[in-house]
Amino acid sequence: MVLILTKYGHLLLNAMGQTVLLALCGLFFACILGIFFGILGVMNNKICRAIDKVFVDVIRGVPLIVLAYFVYFGVPYFMKNIVGNPITLSALQAGTICLALNCGAYMAEIIRAGIQSVDKGQMEAARSLGLPWWRAMYRVVMPQAIRTMIPSIINQFIITLKDTSILSIIGFPELVNTAKNVVANTFMSFQTWGIVAVMYLIVIEILTLASRALERRLNRDKE
Amino acid sequence: MTKSNHVKIHVSHLKKNFKKLEVLKDISTDVYEGEVVVVIGPSGSGKSTFLRCINNLEEITGGEITVDGMSLTDKKTDINKLRENIGMVFQHFNLFPHMDVMRNLTLAPVDLKKASKEDATERAHKMLQKVGMEDKANAYPSQLSGGQKQRVAIARALCMEPDIMLFDEPTSALDPEMVGEVLQVMKQLAADGMTMVIVTHEMGFAREVADRVLFMDGGYIVEEGTPQEVLLNPKEPRTIDFLNKVL
Repeated sequence: MVLILTKYGHLLLNAMGQTVLLALCGLFFACILGIFFGILGVMNNKICRAIDKVFVDVIRGVPLIVLAYFVYFGVPYFMKNIVGNPITLSALQAGTICLALNCGAYMAEIIRAGIQSVDKGQMEAARSLGLPWWRAMYRVVMPQAIRTMIPSIINQFIITLKDTSILSIIGFPELVNTAKNVVANTFMSFQTWGIVAVMYLIVIEILTLASRALERRLNRDKE
Repeated sequence: MTKSNHVKIHVSHLKKNFKKLEVLKDISTDVYEGEVVVVIGPSGSGKSTFLRCINNLEEITGGEITVDGMSLTDKKTDINKLRENIGMVFQHFNLFPHMDVMRNLTLAPVDLKKASKEDATERAHKMLQKVGMEDKANAYPSQLSGGQKQRVAIARALCMEPDIMLFDEPTSALDPEMVGEVLQVMKQLAADGMTMVIVTHEMGFAREVADRVLFMDGGYIVEEGTPQEVLLNPKEPRTIDFLNKVL
């Protein structure tokens, strides 16, 4: 235990840094995708809603591990052998794309449901005052929707942070990948995985506490 | 009740379907400047839908509505601009719960650059005074009673300086003892010469304030005329039947 901490501690900490980096990159683009598709999902236009539905259904229907293999191995193969225009993706790039797509689909659902949970009368009242749809959405509907969305969004962030471990299979040097190497060198499975589990726990606990504080703040404004 | 002969809202052969359900079948009427029109009728007769068609909250299926000479179906008509001129009050108030009363009132005028923040605030104070709510400017909607909420909702609509006001069953969600305060504000508004279309079940109010009463049933205007004619001497059997049930 002490050996792992002293000898491999900095390695594991670095790997945790990589995990967080990958999660942040993925979440950043996931938020953009989620907002984009989530809003498409509540527009009056049928085509917009259909685009959101197809995106969510397709991504939700494919396991992250399959998506990872597909993006990291499948897409470059396709570009090289079929399009004839070789590209290579770094593990970080491929990982970011996978997490962004995967988490983005769930975020889109959270955002769509959050907006739809706001009473329809709110949009109507805002429109009846002359506000255009976008202004009404931004000023009246969204601020109310966000309150109900926050817990689900944080929950999704936590899931995505843990899902980074799946990307160990494309060789990204995140925590699980690194821990495997440590175990291979030391044969100390129990200690290593125990430490790794605690490291995840700590980071996620910090996220949870932050989310509770944010929720409290949002609800205080309401009074 | 300074009715003029200037037509504010012109409705001709209005039709509205929800999917296969025909809610409005053939509605034609004119509302004149300064006129107070009260729409009565049984549930499902289409009165609320009719009202919501006037400011395009429901897109019309057929026929035509023009407000101030501008057609709702004309692609060139800026619906948002048109709506600035048509205030609407809802059965369930629909105040913005995340904003205090003052912000509820100033949001649209400021956001649409109709007034500076100072001017909008000043007007909001005046309107709150008008509805007797000036001491609640900093309250949140959740802290108000139903009657107070509805008075704030009326003030909010008035802050856009509309020349038409639509009321969709404004007292139906209120406790009985709060109905009076809201009707009082509406009476005052009518006396000030506002053009109003009101869907309501308050027959006493209709008799007192309306210039004209429309009785709707089954997607048609079955009978219309002065309150004296429609409410006291109805001719159509369906009107008689309805009034017998509610009075």
